[in-house]
Amino acid sequence: MRLLDELRILGANVDEGLNRFMGNAALYERMLAKLPDMMSKIAINDGFEAEDVNDLIEKTHSIKGVTGNLSLTPLYEAYTKIVDLLRMGNVEEANRIYLEVLPVQEEILARIRNCQ
Amino acid sequence: MGRENTILIVDDIEINRIILAQIFENDYNIMEACNGAQAIEIINSGVEISAMLLDLIMPEVDGLGVLKEMNRSRIISRIPVFLITAANSEEMLLTGYQLGAIDVISKPFMSHFLKCRVDNIIELYRHRNELEKVIAEQVERIDNMNQSMVETLAAVIEFRDCESGEHVKRISRLTRILMTKVSKLYPEYYLPHSEIEKIARSSVLHDVGKISIPDRILNKPGKLTSEEFEVMKQHTVKGCDILQNIPDMMDEGIYNYSYDICRHHHERWDGRGYPDGLCGDEISIWAQVVAVADVYDALTSERVYKKAFDHETAVKMIYNGECGAFNPKVLCAFRKVEKEVIRKH
Repeated sequence: MRLLDELRILGANVDEGLNRFMGNAALYERMLAKLPDMMSKIAINDGFEAEDVNDLIEKTHSIKGVTGNLSLTPLYEAYTKIVDLLRMGNVEEANRIYLEVLPVQEEILARIRNCQ
Repeated sequence: MGRENTILIVDDIEINRIILAQIFENDYNIMEACNGAQAIEIINSGVEISAMLLDLIMPEVDGLGVLKEMNRSRIISRIPVFLITAANSEEMLLTGYQLGAIDVISKPFMSHFLKCRVDNIIELYRHRNELEKVIAEQVERIDNMNQSMVETLAAVIEFRDCESGEHVKRISRLTRILMTKVSKLYPEYYLPHSEIEKIARSSVLHDVGKISIPDRILNKPGKLTSEEFEVMKQHTVKGCDILQNIPDMMDEGIYNYSYDICRHHHERWDGRGYPDGLCGDEISIWAQVVAVADVYDALTSERVYKKAFDHETAVKMIYNGECGAFNPKVLCAFRKVEKEVIRKH
């Protein structure tokens, strides 16, 4: 199965993403291929208490922007909530949502890596 | 939209830059910066940027930092900045607008809408810049026309006492040379170049009041009687009356200088001048300078009542106080520009 089809099953809004990439599926997939590397460089600790809050906000904000532009909807929605909660100072709840989205995130990244 | 326009994309995430680049690369040259510091470097390098797509949250210098720098260097009015951000903090976005961002576009964005918005704004700015250029050219043309009319008026008045229109041009040149030197030598008399230019232009109307003086006095070949001299002295205040009726012919700065020079170019440093008997620095420095220029030109020109003196004689007479009392500092400056004066006179 093609990557875009697999991501569609995992909840990505592939049609919206293709629209953003002006219908260029090859470019869309090339950009998706950059995501695993970017995520590993950003490197968020599973336990948020180990991180500086401002650093966390910056990291999660970046992920929110990229996953939004790549139309990876489950990740975009989760990180939107995480950023808002961190800005309100609710680190615990933000951490909970992060841990909740981790399995989907890993699945998406794994599918992307497999297609490279 | 021709590819002569350049869009600068500023975002620390490569994926975001690539997405934006591919939306615009068919119609624009694309430049990229991965943080605010790089963006500022590119802007300051003088590259012509038609629009900037600016992320807010970035390391080193963030989007608001870039906007602040663009405000400081005043380039914000020339380059439309689109904030393209996932940030939804109202305060941050409001600050962005207050710093001059033209639009805020949320991530994830719709490519077609983004392209239309950017295209439209670039076209608006291009149109506005062209209009500004046309207006500036027209203002300059009107300014030159006004100045020509003023100089023509002054020359017409000069013709009455058998002077050619060259007198007013010589006074203007001398005033420019001497005022520049005085401004350089003495901080208390410093004036920027733009003001010195206005003063030089204003000096042409110093004797506009002579139009009110009867020919029999204006062109009398011999010495004036005391009554005739009293009439002649009126040309200063009469000149001001005339100028009050034509303020629209010149900008406010030139009008004010013209008025002051017209009224006070016969005052004396020792207070024995006319019409107001001003003393020392009560006389504006520009009136003092025009007074010296006027006396020098009168001495070195042929008049109905005398032959022209040569430069050395004229200068000696001025320094000896034979033709009026002048500010020693102005005379000192005059000494320093004598060569230039002779060359251009």
